[in-house]
Amino acid sequence: MINFDNSAASFPKPASVSKAVYEAVSRFGGNPGRSGHKLSAAAAQKVFEVRSAAAEMFGAQVENVAFTLNCTYALNMAIKGLAKSGGNLVISDHEHNAVARPVYKLWKSRGIGFSVAATGENDDETLSNFDKLINEKTCAVVCTAASNVTGRIMPLKRLKKLCESRGVPLIADGAQGCGVLDLKVGADADIICASGHKGLYGPCATGLFITNGKYTPDTIIEGGTGATSAQLEQTGQLPEMLESGTLNTCAIIGLGEGIRFVKKQTPQRILAHERALCRQLERELENVRGVVFYEREYERVGVTAFNIGAMHSEEVAQKLADKGFALRGGLQCAAVTHTALKTKEQGVVRFSPSVFNTPQQVAALARTVRNLA
Amino acid sequence: MKKILITMTSVTYAMKAKKLLNAMGIYCEIERTPKIKGSGCGYSIRVKDPAAVTARLDKLGIPYKSVLEL
Repeated sequence: MINFDNSAASFPKPASVSKAVYEAVSRFGGNPGRSGHKLSAAAAQKVFEVRSAAAEMFGAQVENVAFTLNCTYALNMAIKGLAKSGGNLVISDHEHNAVARPVYKLWKSRGIGFSVAATGENDDETLSNFDKLINEKTCAVVCTAASNVTGRIMPLKRLKKLCESRGVPLIADGAQGCGVLDLKVGADADIICASGHKGLYGPCATGLFITNGKYTPDTIIEGGTGATSAQLEQTGQLPEMLESGTLNTCAIIGLGEGIRFVKKQTPQRILAHERALCRQLERELENVRGVVFYEREYERVGVTAFNIGAMHSEEVAQKLADKGFALRGGLQCAAVTHTALKTKEQGVVRFSPSVFNTPQQVAALARTVRNLA
Repeated sequence: MKKILITMTSVTYAMKAKKLLNAMGIYCEIERTPKIKGSGCGYSIRVKDPAAVTARLDKLGIPYKSVLEL
């Protein structure tokens, strides 16, 4: 099967990632940061090396990088950890449920308000829409680096400046941006939440919470951190305060190799390759009757969203799967975005290539889509 | 010979300290902090010249708890 669903999880992984995970299972089985013996120390050292590599990639101090299960966990930690009673949150209309659902839950359970900034025809309009919604009650602004439905890139740097001028933290959902956009804490957001298993080519269920240290969220999970065990109070020290319980050492070590792979390829080259494949698909399908694309006119990461006439996107995705192509139909866990795109009923078919896909594979997909149309 | 430990606030800071100090030519090793009443568990760096190391740590902005002579 040819995987064009890399926005969900990149696959295949670099051989170095598989090798590192195998080696980790075989050699680094101690519990990192829990004991003083050699097994624990060796595992802790490997975890620290990956933390350092991630910190370098995102321009953070090493202690400001916490490992999470995925981007959703990191976003929950950031959003719920910064939300305050009586306050409100501002999100964009291109958010994933990883943002929309915690925000909705906070409203429902704690009465913390939220408002949705419409994405405009251009960045000025988008920023103006955010600006109008930020007020003295705003606890945080949450915005994706790039839409997981259409790939549209959001003006994070300018939004960060706006938030800074208003004294409000900006949380970025980096699930689709990390590994292809050069995101840095400080310049692009106060907190970047990243997925390890998408653009960073790590194993599934790896994620990162990265902060510039200016805003420290309250914890939403407490427990053992390997230090200050005599106190009932959770440690207030990053990153351990956000890493209660045993870390997934093997996956983290694999993620380290994924990060190394991305650094070697460079995010710029990966982005250029993926965009070229998207352009190829769009070119090959643009005159096919009934095929429509979404947000094609905007600057995007390597993602293309399309539909074929009135055919439901899930049906198209299933037919493509039957022919050996993995693409995602439906709503991509982003109801807010589909409301904005007016595609909530039909959904879209999402094409998201990785560094490993080829123009030949895209040509084969295009032929198959033409036959379906 | 006395064993001198600088107790650190976290394992991550202990490792950061070791990495940066070693890069400066100051040798140190990470050890589990011995049981001290009320402190629970934690990590330390074992050093030879605590005054020089704490001065470096202050300069690097790396927090630490205390200096122990055992």
